[in-house]
Amino acid sequence: MKAKKVLAALLAVTVVMGLNGCSSGLQGAADAEAPKQQDERQTADAAQTEEPKKDDEEVTLTLSVDSDETLDGLQAVCDKAKEVLGITVELDIYTAGTDGDNIMKTRLASGDMADMCVWSDSKFKSVGPDKYFMDLSGTNIPDKLDDTYREAVTYNGGVYGIPVGTSMCGAILYNRDLYEKYNLEVPKTWDEFLKNCQVIKDGGDTAVLGTFADSWTAQVLFLGDYYNVSAKDPEFYKNFEAGTAKYANTPAAMRSFQKFEDLKDYYNSDYMATIYDDGCEILAEGNAAHWIMLTQALSNIYSLYDKETVDKIGVFGIPDEDPDNQGITVWTPSTIFGNKNSDKTDDILRFMEFYISEQGLDAYCSAQMADGPFLVKGYESASDGYRAVEEDMQAYFDAGKTEVDMQSQVQVVGSDLPAICVEVATGQIDGKAAAEKYDADCYKAAVQLNLDWKE
Amino acid sequence: MDKKKLYSFWFLTPALLMFTIFFLIPTVTSLYFSMTVWNIDGAKFCGLNNFKMFFQEDSLNVGIRNTLLYAVLTSILKLVPAFFLAVFLTSKIRTKNILRSVLFFPSLLSLIAIGIMFKAMMHPSKGVINKALAVFGITGIDWLGNTKIAMFSVIGVAIWEGLCIATMMFIASIQAIDQNYYEAAEIDGANWWQKLRYVTMPQTISARNSIIILAFIDGIRSFELIWSMTGGGPGFATDVLSSIVYKQYAAGYYGLSTAGNVIMLILISCLAYPLQTWLLKREEN
Amino acid sequence: MKKKKTKLLIGDILGCTGMFIVYIIPFLFILLNALKDRKGANKLSLSLPDTFHWENFLEVIKVRDFQVLTAFRNSALITFFSVALLVVAGAMAGYVIQRRKDRKIKMVNNLFMVGLMLPPAVLPTIWLLQNLHIYKSFFSIVMLEAVINLPFTIMLYRGYISTIPQELEEAGYIDGCNRFEIFSRIVFPLLKPINATVIILNAIYIFNDFTTPLYFYPGTDNVTIVLTLYNFIGQFQSSYNLLFADVIIIIIPMLILFIIFNKRIVNGMVAGAVKG
Repeated sequence: MKAKKVLAALLAVTVVMGLNGCSSGLQGAADAEAPKQQDERQTADAAQTEEPKKDDEEVTLTLSVDSDETLDGLQAVCDKAKEVLGITVELDIYTAGTDGDNIMKTRLASGDMADMCVWSDSKFKSVGPDKYFMDLSGTNIPDKLDDTYREAVTYNGGVYGIPVGTSMCGAILYNRDLYEKYNLEVPKTWDEFLKNCQVIKDGGDTAVLGTFADSWTAQVLFLGDYYNVSAKDPEFYKNFEAGTAKYANTPAAMRSFQKFEDLKDYYNSDYMATIYDDGCEILAEGNAAHWIMLTQALSNIYSLYDKETVDKIGVFGIPDEDPDNQGITVWTPSTIFGNKNSDKTDDILRFMEFYISEQGLDAYCSAQMADGPFLVKGYESASDGYRAVEEDMQAYFDAGKTEVDMQSQVQVVGSDLPAICVEVATGQIDGKAAAEKYDADCYKAAVQLNLDWKE
Repeated sequence: MDKKKLYSFWFLTPALLMFTIFFLIPTVTSLYFSMTVWNIDGAKFCGLNNFKMFFQEDSLNVGIRNTLLYAVLTSILKLVPAFFLAVFLTSKIRTKNILRSVLFFPSLLSLIAIGIMFKAMMHPSKGVINKALAVFGITGIDWLGNTKIAMFSVIGVAIWEGLCIATMMFIASIQAIDQNYYEAAEIDGANWWQKLRYVTMPQTISARNSIIILAFIDGIRSFELIWSMTGGGPGFATDVLSSIVYKQYAAGYYGLSTAGNVIMLILISCLAYPLQTWLLKREEN
Repeated sequence: MKKKKTKLLIGDILGCTGMFIVYIIPFLFILLNALKDRKGANKLSLSLPDTFHWENFLEVIKVRDFQVLTAFRNSALITFFSVALLVVAGAMAGYVIQRRKDRKIKMVNNLFMVGLMLPPAVLPTIWLLQNLHIYKSFFSIVMLEAVINLPFTIMLYRGYISTIPQELEEAGYIDGCNRFEIFSRIVFPLLKPINATVIILNAIYIFNDFTTPLYFYPGTDNVTIVLTLYNFIGQFQSSYNLLFADVIIIIIPMLILFIIFNKRIVNGMVAGAVKG
């Protein structure tokens, strides 16, 4: 018995000593590493500050981009820029959605922004862009931008960014195979849409795909319904900005929230655990019939699969009561902003000019097809596009039945919208309560902007 | 010997200086800043508007409710399992040392890592937990997606993690009990349960009180686990004060965020402090 | 007697299976999935990987220019300096607070004990740091981590010093030591056991701290190990194998430390917790 104990103790000691030796060895290495790394960084820093003086042929710019952006086109332009301009662009990927917005704001406020960043044009106004971003109004860039888009990136007379991709729509993506299987037609009204959902649900398939683990995806139904809001109440956004119209007391606007109520029974059961990336796969593989999403998902699906798969996806605008006035809400793409406080603003400008040049956009199109029309004046892509864009979406544009997303037209954007949309989608509150909540949320934002809003 | 000279105030200066600059000044100024509209552009006094907003708006005051629920449940629910585990792990079983180590390990880990781990296991359709339940013919639950359950799922994980320390505290306390008590009880013919009830439980009362207080304060301040598991969602269903403080900070509403901080401060001083004095008083009686 | 033995054996078996299910399986789950390929890991099942993808770890380490390594270095440095600061400042403060009982000292003690409970005020702290021009600096994060853990540390020292007889100091005084010598030569060497506790507890806490660096030490070069993990949640949300590999990378140093210092850590934590 005793011998055994002694043996065990000895064993333990050797093990511990062995591990100890190991760890102290590691520690030593780490210690030695630390100062070396620091040295390296110092030399790197020194090199960076000297670089512009020596020559401006070889420059490296950093670009922060959110993880839900399809990077193929952007990457292609960057590769081309390296070839043509000698500017290497390093991508730095940050979390998409609300969390990502938080990260961006924090990085801006703490002076820690990369040379350029891709961010939403509906968010950038809330941080006071003149402090952080390069004003491009003195250059020839603004003249090349589409008017609607230029409007969206204008703040106090300054023009602040260029589009990272094409415009897109917030609409209902549907799987054509499933529509064929159930012999359905593209709905013209909300009721028809619900009927289609019921048929699909009765057939045992998922009618509407929810990807609310990424809570921003829940907003698309609400925001994409804006075409219908403005069709019924064209002055709403102006009155809203002035603080006189509220969602809760404007029936046309409140309807957008109430549409969530109707869909409650049609979602997939794991909608709170499904993320955007999952959603692309689920829709492409025909495991759900509808997904209320931005058409940028088409490019995501294309990069995961192929043209044939992505052409199985169709698009229609979020329908309302009037079958003759079905339109679609258009989103401006994410925007590339230049960091005003970077020491390489000249290079950033050169890169931006290149990005929206014909050469740059051709490079973009070689890697990725358009999710909607380009927002650079006079540019037409030579290559063919997705069927959903060329057939379905183009019809809305041809008929003039489009409206630009409200968030890029107003200054007041409530920060809790994704959470509120999830709340109403999961049935915790009804549409009216959601409208009231969002009003309160916007009031909060208005107070911060020093707007004179009545509660 | 002059006590004042020997134990000079100078010894206190480093600690006091650090504490004053980095803790006291911010805490005191927070009272002012909580009454301002404060963003990147600067702070503007607005009276008690932030607090009014906090109590009126559902998306904010849900945090107060959830924080209390979380603090109360995490501090109470781990007592019973921790106590019995401690009794079990101080019995004569042979594997107790290994088991103690295993139980203890989670307390060394970051709550973010634990949150990631459990979030994956609680996936409604693919997760291990629901698959295990399915083996027994039980339909799984959407642990983090169901708004009525999500808060309790997070609390469950918090207990899983907090059980380690609580059990260890009970173990230390049980080991410190004078063996004479048990012997006396045995002479009186006490059975296993009676010994537990009339010796072990009263003798570990101070450990129990410490566990309650520690868990309660931790509960009110908790952030990491909730943030990594649900981010406050679905909707606002699992928002607690500290997650709201973070969200307002991130949205740029600094005054509102500070108001949340002050409410947390008030909750702790109005609840945790009296709770502690009350428990101590009962302990003495 | 025999009956008792079987009872204990049953206890062993039940205890081991219970612990295995509740406390080992979660870690096993992470480890197994960290070794799968993306498709396999995204099924989130508890099966053995078909082939072992050890390169997942390498891939995680390589992300963003070896960010994980930078983070390890940052976390280690922050932990080291703030713990060192805590030992020195905490021991000195605990010493005087325990030995002197006048009103002024009592007030100071109460002040520290308030800090034990209250959460730090986030934005006013940032505001202060910005005005002092030390926001985002290594100095400020070390200070903040130390200050947050200071009250608890003082309490530990105060409790332990009460067990050291005062006669030693008096003897030293008679031998002609000045007050700093008394502390550094006589008292401090006696604090070894509590020093171990203080170091272990604070090191674990500071190394794992998420909130403080999140608010007060932003920046890509400043990341700490827990923050990289948090950032990876967004980046790897559709590749669980890499996310879990990162979790494992963070668990391993703690596991090694735990195996080596098992008893010390457990005792230290219990001692700390009981006094709390």
